[in-house]
Amino acid sequence: MTIVCKNLIKSFGEPPNEVIKGIDLEIRNGEFISISGRSGSGKSTLLYLLSTLDTPTSGIITIDNQEPDKLSVEDLHKFRNQHLGFVFQFHYLLAELTALENTLLPARKNGNQDEISVFVNELFERFDVNSTKNKLPSQLSGGEQQRIAIIRALSMKPRYLFADEPTGSLDSVNGKIVMDILTKANSEWGMTLVLVTHEEEYAEMAETEIFLKDGLVI
Amino acid sequence: MLFLAIRHLLSRKRQTTLIFLGISMGTMMFAIISGLQLGMREFIVDRLLSNTAHIKISARDQSVDKNKMTQRFYPGGEVINWLTPPSGKREEAHILYPQGWFNRLSDDPAVYGYSPSLSMSVIISKGDTRYPAALTGVVPKLYEKVLDINRYIKIGSLDVLDNGGNRVIVGDKLLENLGAKVGDNILVSAGKGELRPLKIAGVLSLAIEEIDKTLMIASLNDVQQLNKTPGQINEISISLLDINRAQELAHLWSLASRDKVQSWDEVNANFLEIFVFQDIVRITVTTAILIVAAFGIFNVLSIIVNQKRREIAILQSIGYPPNMIMQLFLIQGVILGFSGAIFGLIIGYGLNLYIATIELNIHIGAGNHLIISSDPSIYITGFLMAFISAIIASLLPAYTASKMTPIDIIRSEI
Repeated sequence: MTIVCKNLIKSFGEPPNEVIKGIDLEIRNGEFISISGRSGSGKSTLLYLLSTLDTPTSGIITIDNQEPDKLSVEDLHKFRNQHLGFVFQFHYLLAELTALENTLLPARKNGNQDEISVFVNELFERFDVNSTKNKLPSQLSGGEQQRIAIIRALSMKPRYLFADEPTGSLDSVNGKIVMDILTKANSEWGMTLVLVTHEEEYAEMAETEIFLKDGLVI
Repeated sequence: MLFLAIRHLLSRKRQTTLIFLGISMGTMMFAIISGLQLGMREFIVDRLLSNTAHIKISARDQSVDKNKMTQRFYPGGEVINWLTPPSGKREEAHILYPQGWFNRLSDDPAVYGYSPSLSMSVIISKGDTRYPAALTGVVPKLYEKVLDINRYIKIGSLDVLDNGGNRVIVGDKLLENLGAKVGDNILVSAGKGELRPLKIAGVLSLAIEEIDKTLMIASLNDVQQLNKTPGQINEISISLLDINRAQELAHLWSLASRDKVQSWDEVNANFLEIFVFQDIVRITVTTAILIVAAFGIFNVLSIIVNQKRREIAILQSIGYPPNMIMQLFLIQGVILGFSGAIFGLIIGYGLNLYIATIELNIHIGAGNHLIISSDPSIYITGFLMAFISAIIASLLPAYTASKMTPIDIIRSEI
């Protein structure tokens, strides 16, 4: 159960501007890996490639021995739904749904929201946002919104959790709370955590630190 | 996706309500305009079919032909230069070989009934009053089988003409204009020197003033005697088992005869042309309203798709494939089209019921209120028009949304 990438290259535009310039990487099952680097170093691009949201210009990525590129659109979305969780810098909660409804969205796709709601309710209690269940995102603080977004990412108990600067829009107190949740998801439930951050303090919490410069791991 | 689509709609109450009302207004207008137009049309067609046969065979007028006259009077081939060339009708038009038609019609399984008649213009005298009228001589038993005339007879029945006896049934307006009543005698002239007394034995009303103020029906024998043309007829009215075959059979029969054979819709072509024009106006008005509503759906959904880019990105990243994203927006159009159409048609139906009760200062048929059609096809057509236009209007925004990828959206947000 690993993510393996070989000679990963990603370029944009014409003439091609290489943002990722041939990265080889292996992420083991249950590992916590942080990716950091300056702005424009390619860290978010690498995360999107690893998490199937983007496709490489060349090179190979395999997740659990499967190449996401070769999956059909349906299968790729099913794979994301069941095995991958995403936390972005912005919460991206659906404004017209309550916090609870937002967290059950991945389960609703399969029609098993009743089954998943037991676990989701546990998470609400555990992350101290029980009182927000029936509130709309606009009625929540920034920290609460991000915690709800994390519950949504964890709701299907994914094997891989991808977090793209999840603390980037939070103050230090809420940032610590979010990092605490993410590290617990890795240590207690064995989820593989791939974190992109520019904050050294959080990057150092990972078992493996990767630093990118100009599209290369240094 | 229904759950999410409903939430999307409810979260924009004002826009949703406006589009909903736009579609409702379109279908409501369609139901009302169609109800009015088709109601009047049904009334007119009903009246037409009540006093018009499915197929009418009538005698062709014969004009005097200059060449034939020359040949007849100068068979030697002399060159004749007429100072006043002969012209005009040769004789009163009549069907030359009625028995041939009767045999043919009796044997045709498509024919339900046929009725020979002799129609002519007459002058009625009553006291000092002279009045023009249209007298038709019929065989009552045959006439009843072709035209539902008894329905319009207010006093008496067609049977009173069975045994001849110089009796006549007259239009109610004619009776009124003559100042006569049932049982009175009137003198009728066919313009051939003789004034024949006819007894008013009944009154009918087709509720079409132009007809009711000239119409007279008598027995065929009496009219033939008045016209001094025994055995002669100038029209055969035919009813068919299937009215839809009228054009086809009229065409077929006309090929083998010099008489004029016309189906009911050919005879009333002018009316039917008005109906076509009415249809065009009705569909144009409704289409215009629905196009505005459909543009509303298109615009609002396009704006929403743009506003909801982040949501589309997150939905795709948590496993909602493009076809489900398309469904999300398509369902919104379907809900608006469906509910707007149903609501508009219910309101339209209610208003139609109300309009039908409004009393006017005009007489239409037996009453004085507008005749509104409640033909189910109006409501089915209205629903389909609104529903389909809503779906078409939603397709492009829904397709655009389905083509967005999470990575493109996320990158554009950074």
